[in-house]
Amino acid sequence: MVQKRIREEAKRLLENKEVDVIVGFGEGSLPLRATPIFVRKPEEVDRLIWNSFCENNLAAYLHKLDRFKVGLVVKGCDARSVTALALEKRFPNHPVYLIGVPCQRMVDRRKIKRAVKKEILKAVDEGGQIIVSGDGFQTSLKKDDFLYPSCQVCTHRNPDQANVIVAEPVEEKALAEIHPDMEAFERMTPQERWRFFEKEVSRCMRCYACREACPMCYCNECFVDNSRPKWIEKSLDPRDLQFYHIVRAYHQTGRCTACGACERACPMEIKLNYMTQKLNQDVKDLYGFETGVDRETPPPLSTFETEDKQEFIK
Amino acid sequence: MNNWEPKILAFLCNWCSYAGADLAGTSRIQYPPNIRVIRVPCSGRINPLFILKALRSGIDGVLVSGCHPGDCHYLSGNYVGRRKSATLKHFLEYLGIEEGRVQFSWVSAAEGVKFSQVIDEVTQDIKKLGPQKQFIEEKDSRVQVAKGPSEETKNPGTLEPSNP
Amino acid sequence: MKSKLDKKDFKPFLQGLIDRFDLYAPVKAAEGVSVYQKIARPEEVNFDLLNPQKPLKEVFFPQTEVMFCYQKAGKKNQVTSTEDVNRERVIFGARPCDIEALSMIEEVYCGKEYTDVYFSNKRKATTIIGMACETPLSTCFCTSTGGSPFVRKGSDILFIDLGDTYLVELLTEKGKGFQKNPYFKEADAKDLALAEDLEKKALKKMESSSNPRLPLEGIEKRLDVMVESPIWDRFHEKCIGCNTCTFLCPTCHCFDIADEASGNKGQRVRNWDSCLSSLYSLETSGHNPRPTGRERTRQRIMHKLNYFPKLFGKIACVGCGRCILYCPVNFDIRQTIEEIQNAK
Repeated sequence: MVQKRIREEAKRLLENKEVDVIVGFGEGSLPLRATPIFVRKPEEVDRLIWNSFCENNLAAYLHKLDRFKVGLVVKGCDARSVTALALEKRFPNHPVYLIGVPCQRMVDRRKIKRAVKKEILKAVDEGGQIIVSGDGFQTSLKKDDFLYPSCQVCTHRNPDQANVIVAEPVEEKALAEIHPDMEAFERMTPQERWRFFEKEVSRCMRCYACREACPMCYCNECFVDNSRPKWIEKSLDPRDLQFYHIVRAYHQTGRCTACGACERACPMEIKLNYMTQKLNQDVKDLYGFETGVDRETPPPLSTFETEDKQEFIK
Repeated sequence: MNNWEPKILAFLCNWCSYAGADLAGTSRIQYPPNIRVIRVPCSGRINPLFILKALRSGIDGVLVSGCHPGDCHYLSGNYVGRRKSATLKHFLEYLGIEEGRVQFSWVSAAEGVKFSQVIDEVTQDIKKLGPQKQFIEEKDSRVQVAKGPSEETKNPGTLEPSNP
Repeated sequence: MKSKLDKKDFKPFLQGLIDRFDLYAPVKAAEGVSVYQKIARPEEVNFDLLNPQKPLKEVFFPQTEVMFCYQKAGKKNQVTSTEDVNRERVIFGARPCDIEALSMIEEVYCGKEYTDVYFSNKRKATTIIGMACETPLSTCFCTSTGGSPFVRKGSDILFIDLGDTYLVELLTEKGKGFQKNPYFKEADAKDLALAEDLEKKALKKMESSSNPRLPLEGIEKRLDVMVESPIWDRFHEKCIGCNTCTFLCPTCHCFDIADEASGNKGQRVRNWDSCLSSLYSLETSGHNPRPTGRERTRQRIMHKLNYFPKLFGKIACVGCGRCILYCPVNFDIRQTIEEIQNAK
């Protein structure tokens, strides 16, 4: 069982003092949730769990743990984030030890809640089924019907870069060709697209959960806090909300691994992945680049080719 | 609407495009007066946020112009800038910013005529698109702010004082 | 004085309010997302969620609020303040926890020494119609913080949903001013019995295993001696330092003031701020007295459970559960409270 193997590996690493801390997932306090945990003692490894609710990208914690040797439990997307960060030279002191888990895809807890009208008090991940129960009801839901869209289109579920992989590799086959939100967005006219974008971000409250959940957002001073030059204000002016989201997405060009953590973190349920998926698509089409699949290719915006496409330039 | 003249910001690289603009001037070549020029050392210096901030400030169109590939004064600045320009342009058009609002060109120091032609084309394109309204239009698209009656007469972001 | 409102009269009743007041109610912002907003039509009211994401405080303390505008005209400066409230307001559908939280913010903003005119003008001009909670969520713990799903305190009028009618309790002088509303009928004994039954059921749920009572007794005193405890090293680890819990918390009330200027005119704006962001305590010299998440998380919890009680006699938490529901990493203050009480 994956969970057992994660615990064994964590125990081994802690006992041999190969790492100071294991960052993995523990039991959440709410149904359909797992929560990040930090294990420092070998006797505590039984707190580590693994299921289809492990939706966070734990690479986001690496920045504040840079003084320690870290063992990180990673899915395919998380492992690619770590590789991308390593390319950006974020780990000069200690390389990160990756405990890789071939990802069985994560479930969209919001979609499940919408499908089940009454409050869910308990949820159990049983492989192909999610059993949810509450006051006077119990339902079995087919897991594949409730996956996060970013997981449906994922073609990098195996964390190939990991130091150890704790299960058999899974088949790299996407369940959908194109991200459903991106597909719906592309079918709209430019005016409709801008209206949609405007409406989505209009409920943003600048909590920055998206930014903090993202492993690639680690600037000591984010552009929103710059006062010289002051790009945007701190208020909820719609133009500033649009500016913030355009730039935050754009800053991921060639760096995003489509893990979906940003959209999952947002308390106002703002759709964000249709933007990051498009940016990933563009760098793939223009420069043949995919984030975090190898340790050599430099990020696309940090380099160039003399033959880069330029048909749009007069 | 007939007498609306677009405001276009032109970021010109110092060594090629700015010199080309200069040549157009000294050669007395006529071109539309709608551009405001900002001279930068290299087209690679352009931070995509400049373009967005320009649009947010009400500018109707942005032109970024640099040296031809291979001719950059700093050897590879325009190559780096080219990737930023490409990805930004694709992204903005994907989001629904009108095609043609943000344009790019290579103009060398000897191309005074080309410079005036580029400005001509860009100005015509922006005139056809009309005033830029996406980043600047004050619509009531804010869902979350519970507006009190005293805020009804203005939104944060306009600089009109309320009627006393 | 107990009246009732038939649900078939609900829309005309709301329309009557809209005609006379600025009416604020929970509105659907997107699938699964609600906010309080001023409504123009009765159809906009939406109770899909038990409690909107953004709390009631927003109606009195907007996330972005212009404090004054200025314009320079020649040698003169014209300054226009925005503190006046021109029309009476009514809030419909606020939950007892949010209403209790509002009274906590009122203690700070309408205190003995200083009054925040923006808040107090709005508060004075507002009638609150509360809505009792018949089905509290498992994340609700209002009874642990001294509240209850049917508590009347703070509401001018309380509505209780009886199925095809609402029971209407006119509680305060302001509330009794609505006595003559044409849509209110007199409630009969059956209605009152049903309401009592619903209240008992809700309270029973709050005492059941799905809503265990939190050990909040004596937590203020415990925290007095725990400022340097090693538990803070663990609490902050998974917090990513976003502003979600502070912005969604109905009692949190910090703000930052900024001047937005352009040429000869500008405005002073205040926006919600969060003690969990590193910039909150960053000083101009570059020194930050709360340099890491450890200090900031400690501050937030101490403020809620120790500093605020010292000043105002109650903990700054009403048990609404929003921070638990919407935290991206499932930080759960209920677990924090248990660990504090059980720490050695």
